[in-house]
Amino acid sequence: MGGTAAMIGIFRSELFKLRTTRATKVVVACSIALPAIIFTLTSMYAFSNGEVGDSLVSMVGNFAPLTGLLLGVVGVLCSTQEYSQGTIRITLVATPNRSKVLIAKLLTTVVVSTVSSVLMLLLCLLPSQLILSSRNIDFVTIDTDVRILFSAVILSVFLSILGLSLGLVFKSSPGAISALLLWPTILEGMVFGLLSVAFDRNMMKFAPVQGNGFRLIAQYTDESNSWLVSLAVFSAFVAVFAVLGAVFFSRRDA
Amino acid sequence: MIVVENLTKSYGSKKAVDSLSFSVAPGRVTGFLGPNGSGKSTTMRCMLGLDRPDTGHVLFDGKAYTEFERPLTQVGSLLDAGDAHKGRTARNHLRWIALTHGISVQRVDQVLQMVGMTEAANTRVGKFSLGMRQRLGLAAALLGDPKVVILDEPANGLDPEGIRWTREVMRHLADEGRSVLVSSHQLVELSLVADDLVVIGQGSLISSGPISQFMTQHAKTWVRVVSPSIDALAELVRLAGGTIEKTPEGVDFHGISAAAIGEIAATNNLVLHELSPQTGSLEQAFLDATDASVEYRGESATSTWAAPQQ
Repeated sequence: MGGTAAMIGIFRSELFKLRTTRATKVVVACSIALPAIIFTLTSMYAFSNGEVGDSLVSMVGNFAPLTGLLLGVVGVLCSTQEYSQGTIRITLVATPNRSKVLIAKLLTTVVVSTVSSVLMLLLCLLPSQLILSSRNIDFVTIDTDVRILFSAVILSVFLSILGLSLGLVFKSSPGAISALLLWPTILEGMVFGLLSVAFDRNMMKFAPVQGNGFRLIAQYTDESNSWLVSLAVFSAFVAVFAVLGAVFFSRRDA
Repeated sequence: MIVVENLTKSYGSKKAVDSLSFSVAPGRVTGFLGPNGSGKSTTMRCMLGLDRPDTGHVLFDGKAYTEFERPLTQVGSLLDAGDAHKGRTARNHLRWIALTHGISVQRVDQVLQMVGMTEAANTRVGKFSLGMRQRLGLAAALLGDPKVVILDEPANGLDPEGIRWTREVMRHLADEGRSVLVSSHQLVELSLVADDLVVIGQGSLISSGPISQFMTQHAKTWVRVVSPSIDALAELVRLAGGTIEKTPEGVDFHGISAAAIGEIAATNNLVLHELSPQTGSLEQAFLDATDASVEYRGESATSTWAAPQQ
């Protein structure tokens, strides 16, 4: 079995692991179905006539953080379940080269999060468009729609990598999921809010997730970073944890 | 052939394994013994690249485990029967392992049949007894048809039939020319199947070699005598330097050979009904050999386990 074939085998194995655990299937399903259901219901009941003021795509984009965080949880489970169930030993006995295991896990989370976020966008947009069209309701399109769609996928992929990395650092689901959910939703706002008071200027633009990651799908304002800067800050933040996770995973005894 | 050379592994200031060297020959079952905390599991983890040794190395037919492109075809291992996701079925547990090596689904079904788990193939691992998990772990170890098999307490949790089956499997694997290294605390079972023993205590080697050699070095030997003139014989043996211990079965003589007792009896016209050399069990030999290196020792039940006072 050559190097590429071996790598494909390890990747298929990681994908199979995710497919055969109930927790990951439920979370992936939620990350796709929850936004789709909510958005479809919103389309059915909120827009009855006239014109929808905002772009449909930008409204769908607002669900990207929810999907992203749920896919982040999938990333966490991809690593922590191995430790909690003891299968990490079998994984590393089957593939002693830890770099290959890491790459396979990374590829798996990227593929799962990409497919899931694209599906979420499709399941939000297509039924809503059909509903609104059938009622002759106009919806505006804006020139940043494609960027928003692209950003929604990027956000999900990066958050799932962040989840995977936190899982590799913490080794336990409660710790990693708490960090993944609490930092962007509560702690980051508090920390950068305090910094804003301390320095008497808006520091939120430096907040890696809220100020940059979530901003990828929002409209640009004078106080926010540009899309490229936001992408750079957010990816640097994720990269730091990815490197930390890789170092812990490579050096730690199993 | 497994060669462990000068293996040392520390956790903080505690040395779990200390300059350990031994070898495991093909075609033989090698028992790996040691008290709790003696470093057996750490040694096995170092062998499989799960823990990184401070010094030393382990070679399988001249190669380190991490150098194998398809390690499961070289070394099969069962470290802990609990190492399986409780929500996966037995078949899926083996399938994800098989996928890493491009092993076919047919082989998965074959090993499930080998360990007698075909009917439980689609049952979740969480519903298995410890014995069934052991069988599944053994199936995983055999998945790649390996040349070397490493088993950590494979009979743990098995019923008597399962224990006998495990023994037969180990014997069969060794007879096929594979190297089998097995750690176990079930010494009676091990004495029935092991050809060689590696005994360690506090991370260091105590003994390595054929089981007969270990018994010669560490097992107690004595002579059991049944005679109508036992008191007279006992006095004569005492004078010859032997010691006497009365038991319900007769009298045991220590420190003197059966031949010497026979000659004393013949010279003094004493009738003997039984004169049989006795050898202590592997368990007793193991306990004697490792007595100085036992780290965790329970209180004697007879002396301190008094009922709580009301």
